[in-house]
Amino acid sequence: MKETDANKPAGIDKPPFFKSWKGMYWLVLGNLAFLITLFYIITKIYA
Amino acid sequence: MRLLDWVVLLGTLGFIVSYGVWKTRGSKDIEGYLRGDNSMKWWTIGLSIMATQASAITFLSTPGQAYEDGMRFVQFYFGLPIAMVIISVTVIPIFYRLKVYTAYEYLESRFDLKTRSLAAFLFLVQRGLAAGITIYAPAIILSTILGWNLTATNLFIGVLVIIYTVSGGTKAVSVTQKQQMAVMMGGMLVAGFMVVRYLPDNVSFGDAVAVAGKMGKMNVVDFSFDWNDRYNFWSGMTGGLFLALSYFGTDQSQVARYLGGRSVGESRLGLLFNGLLKIPMQFLILFIGVMVFVFYQFNQPPLFFNEAAKTKVYATEFAPEMEALESQHTALFNQKQEAVQGLVSALRTEDEAAISAAQSKVQGITDASKELRTEVKSLIAKATPDAETKDTDYVFISFVMKYLPAGLVGLLLAVIFSAAMSSTASELNALASTSVIDIYRRSVKPDASNMHYVKASKTFTAIWGGIAIIFATYASLLDNLIQAVNIIGSIFYGTILGIFLVAFYFKYIKGNAVFFAALIAEAIVLYCHFYTDIAFLWFNVIGCVAVIVFGLLIQFALNQMDKGKQAA
Repeated sequence: MKETDANKPAGIDKPPFFKSWKGMYWLVLGNLAFLITLFYIITKIYA
Repeated sequence: MRLLDWVVLLGTLGFIVSYGVWKTRGSKDIEGYLRGDNSMKWWTIGLSIMATQASAITFLSTPGQAYEDGMRFVQFYFGLPIAMVIISVTVIPIFYRLKVYTAYEYLESRFDLKTRSLAAFLFLVQRGLAAGITIYAPAIILSTILGWNLTATNLFIGVLVIIYTVSGGTKAVSVTQKQQMAVMMGGMLVAGFMVVRYLPDNVSFGDAVAVAGKMGKMNVVDFSFDWNDRYNFWSGMTGGLFLALSYFGTDQSQVARYLGGRSVGESRLGLLFNGLLKIPMQFLILFIGVMVFVFYQFNQPPLFFNEAAKTKVYATEFAPEMEALESQHTALFNQKQEAVQGLVSALRTEDEAAISAAQSKVQGITDASKELRTEVKSLIAKATPDAETKDTDYVFISFVMKYLPAGLVGLLLAVIFSAAMSSTASELNALASTSVIDIYRRSVKPDASNMHYVKASKTFTAIWGGIAIIFATYASLLDNLIQAVNIIGSIFYGTILGIFLVAFYFKYIKGNAVFFAALIAEAIVLYCHFYTDIAFLWFNVIGCVAVIVFGLLIQFALNQMDKGKQAA
């Protein structure tokens, strides 16, 4: 029974600053890409 | 320790414990005690998640690791933000819909009781061991450096945590973790500022970073692939991702943090907050370690950072050998200081030939220093066979004790105690909720009153706290215990994650198949641990993939057998 419940849509509130949660997720992943790029540049500059 | 340090340390810890007890006082039902009445805002959840993960060892060992090995450890966290997104999308909505108290409750609704009990049991074993180590690891270092009694230090940390965790449950854990995070980050920022300030007048911040780079410490990202290399981009993005998925998605000490949120959205924001800030936080802690390394290029470091271990050698027949090594160390440092000043001057000229020559000179002396340190470690092992010859955990704390002014030493000790308390509190709270919800209420006493389960939760919190203190007290009797517990974590995490991934994404696989697949996966991981050289981070991937693959195969075989029976 509960397995079926798990597939029902939940009442999920909206995130701040973005129209949907996708925007928040892209912010986190974009931040990760930015940090890795920055760290790569730091590694190259100071090698 | 000066009076002001004691005032800062005891005042900070006393305030946090009192605030936690006062803020969460009053009688509660089980909903309030284990899920915090679902009243937590996203920033409380985010800080609580970060504080749970940041143990005292984070602040003691990480700077020492950077001192020895540079910045590359940060790559270990590259998979974490991706895991935060995956958990936000898939795991949180399911847990909220089913209104579970623990992650393992979901497994019974999806599979069966034996799979739920297996996962809960694996968690209790692994986390029960870890709780003792969370107390013991900082206690052994602080008692060695400060000359405190080890048992008293264990008791001090353990009892403080038990007081507010038993009293206020999940809410007390989360509320106190906000203050603890503020103390931790504030203290580390002050330490970072002080170490840069203590550099010689003629060495700017830019010079310090350049020197660190030329001495191989600014090695933040490495894209080369090596199965046996623990920290590179690939191991971080794969092993690190699986470890983070397992830790944040299936470990009750983290799941309880976001299950206390006001809504799905608050919980998601808390996790994403961690996804945004965790890597910069680790970068900062490692960078402080690198600055301590640069500081010690201009100020003579101890030959061995665990001074107590060195002192014991002086009480043996090996004292003259140690004295000789100390003299060589001083002579090498004098040469090195001159060479490093030469490197700073060369870097300013931007003349590649001059930089390269200065770098080679520094490198030669650094290699000689490393050899000397190896000799010291051998001598310590020979003179005092029971002594720990790894001293990286003592690098940061010995800098703090020797160079920081009165008051700041107390603050930095408060950072370490806060970190130990915050992660221990989450562990005790999670151990109690899993014991009560997944074992006691489900299989021992299913029909008791709400208040009975609150009392049971408080009792289990105190019992697990007691076990953690006892384990911490006797931990020193076992060799390489900390490393053993870290490996045990990786041995179980992959399998637990595999069970949950099957539950979420492989509807084809049912209870019996996943249960036996988990047992096979665990056997494979144990084989890898005992008979191969694969780095333990990969156990998470291997265990997880094995559960999925064998789950599919066993389910297929079971379906074929059913079809055969029906046809017969």
